[in-house]
Amino acid sequence: MRDIEFFVLHDGEYPFVPHNDEIGQWSRTNFISLPTEFYDGPSARRMLDDFLDTFVLAEKLGFDGVLHSEQHNGPIGLSGSGLTLSAYIAAVTSNIKIAAVGPIMNAYQSPIRLAEEVALVDQLSNGRLVLGLPMGTGMQYHSYGNMNPAFARERWNEAHELLIAAMTRPGPFDFQGKHFHVPYVNLWPRPVQAPHPPIFIPAAGSRETLELTAKHRYTYQAVLNPRAALKRNCDLFRELCEQNGYEADPRQISVNLFVHVAETDEQARREVEPHIMWLMQNFFRSTFQDSFPPGHVSLRSLRGMVDGGYRSKPPAEMTWDDLVRERWIVVGSPETVAAGIEEIVDELGAGRVCLSANNGTEPLWMIHKSLTLFAEQVLPRFRPKGAAPTWAREPQPIPRTRAELAVRSQPRRQPQAEIEGVGIVETLTAHVPELRRAVRDRLDA
Amino acid sequence: MAETTTAPLWPFHTEPEFIEVDGLRTAYRRDGAGEPVLFLHGAGQTRRWLPFHQALAERVELLAPEHPGFGDTPLTPEVDRIDDVVLHYDALVRAFGWERFHLVGHSLGGFLAAEFAVYYPERVKSLTLVTAPGLRVPGHPMADVFRMTPEEADGLLFNGHAAEYAEYLEEGDPGEALIHGYQEMTMLARLHFNPRYDVKLDHRLARVTAPALLVAAEDDRLIPGAHMERWAELLPNGRLEVLTGDRHPTGHLPHVTEPRKLATTIADFVAAQAGA
Repeated sequence: MRDIEFFVLHDGEYPFVPHNDEIGQWSRTNFISLPTEFYDGPSARRMLDDFLDTFVLAEKLGFDGVLHSEQHNGPIGLSGSGLTLSAYIAAVTSNIKIAAVGPIMNAYQSPIRLAEEVALVDQLSNGRLVLGLPMGTGMQYHSYGNMNPAFARERWNEAHELLIAAMTRPGPFDFQGKHFHVPYVNLWPRPVQAPHPPIFIPAAGSRETLELTAKHRYTYQAVLNPRAALKRNCDLFRELCEQNGYEADPRQISVNLFVHVAETDEQARREVEPHIMWLMQNFFRSTFQDSFPPGHVSLRSLRGMVDGGYRSKPPAEMTWDDLVRERWIVVGSPETVAAGIEEIVDELGAGRVCLSANNGTEPLWMIHKSLTLFAEQVLPRFRPKGAAPTWAREPQPIPRTRAELAVRSQPRRQPQAEIEGVGIVETLTAHVPELRRAVRDRLDA
Repeated sequence: MAETTTAPLWPFHTEPEFIEVDGLRTAYRRDGAGEPVLFLHGAGQTRRWLPFHQALAERVELLAPEHPGFGDTPLTPEVDRIDDVVLHYDALVRAFGWERFHLVGHSLGGFLAAEFAVYYPERVKSLTLVTAPGLRVPGHPMADVFRMTPEEADGLLFNGHAAEYAEYLEEGDPGEALIHGYQEMTMLARLHFNPRYDVKLDHRLARVTAPALLVAAEDDRLIPGAHMERWAELLPNGRLEVLTGDRHPTGHLPHVTEPRKLATTIADFVAAQAGA
């Protein structure tokens, strides 16, 4: 029996932008330089509203998780801060896993700030945070002021080391890196998940990234690859896990799919085709120079791309049939979609699937229809019979009631204060006359 | 110039000589006799001995190394800031036994030359910067070389006349050229992505008292002319000269479009400062 975890993905696009045949009058693409004259406040707020409501809907429908991305300086996504958005989702949902992909680590001045935000959101969500650590698209590096693509990988690697150390090593300690020197690493609060929230690494398939993901037993989040390259990457990833002395868990491979379900195959295509084609033609459209600013990929990976390992065709040129053949999209009746996903997860050995909720520009009512059909008629086929979402089956990282927390509390000290004429008292009881007494002498008395 | 033993890979290609500089196998080309001139190249047009080099070497002793990460000098993790490059060139000229010399730089090379002169003003007999970035000049943003497609870059570098300079644009196998170009741009990004200027130069250039020639173009579409005017303001003995084009107004690459005229301008200036 398959046991696949399903995340609902939404990037929060602002879709009211010029089509690619006319955008050149204002900007090369929708990335980083589309003038704000195209920003309409009320429209943006409506889009944010649909974006946020989708996550609430996903929990109610019984999905395992939600996933959102961090985008900067443009209409590609209206969340410039993955962890801020996650804090909101934590407040409006109760149980569903929340995957923030990203934070873009290199956009942070220091990974200490990131560690603090991760720990806080993990607390606020009762340990529901999944942490995605993308390198950030090349485009983002042009628009942040503190990021240099030439140092992207080495700075990311060092930030990752420091982030994990901050969450797992007892503090305080001194961290001495090339990019970060922090004399006092001392994280408070700490994440509730041990040793830290699960980590997703989105990767187009560079060997360096797959090696790191395998080494740390993270989840490889496969993005936008042709079918054959995706299979190769998944096989390579499993091989790299073996080289690290373990067998990959299927949950370590997560595949992104554009999914849409309707009553029939014809109806599903009719509903989603305009949205999918809009997305491919407008939001995945970029130049080589924008996507790969110098240093953003290693020379080794670049050589791999030049030799044909990247994409056979830019997304903007892909036809509907290309998208079906490359299996970027899985569209149809519940039967068709279930069969399509079955084939993909079996071939790749994937244990996680991220479904695009809005496929670019779908309005909330259409998302509602497709996700409901999916949840009721497709999703149950990928879980053990009658099984609940993974969040209801897995142990809670931390109790949610004060009653349980109090039983487990073992603080090393009670708060004390010195009261004139009384001595050192315990503040939590000293307001009661018979308990207002010195509990000990001053050590330096 | 040393005899080339292998067939050129593209027009103007020559095999370089190499010298070990602080452990880095550094490529260079050298020719001519007379006043010693160290020429620092801009980003691009590497692995070539151009008509400009040839013309200049007819009047001076020209030493034209390739920066770390450019041409045939490898990218090294040890050199990733401007001051690393300055120290690299200090070591290089020491290796050649040069005490004092004339320093000339085009574009990125001009930026590096100015930085070298700030650190070692007493070594510089004269300083020539040709269409060079490096200063913060509010209101006159440079074109963004890191986002340009090759076609856009050619358009801005040659002001629409790229087709007339096709031989300068040939660079062999397209895949290899792309990878090599990416490596050079990576080195450029290390030095120049953010920020694209050194605000310290506003104050530090006062240290450079050597005679300085600032060669501006008539219509530089990459680095606005205001940048060259600013260099001239900040360098205590700086003089601005606009190099005019015979075929069309000069742009960012005067060493390509007006090689002999630029070489003459530089050589005349060097000759005038020979006694410095």
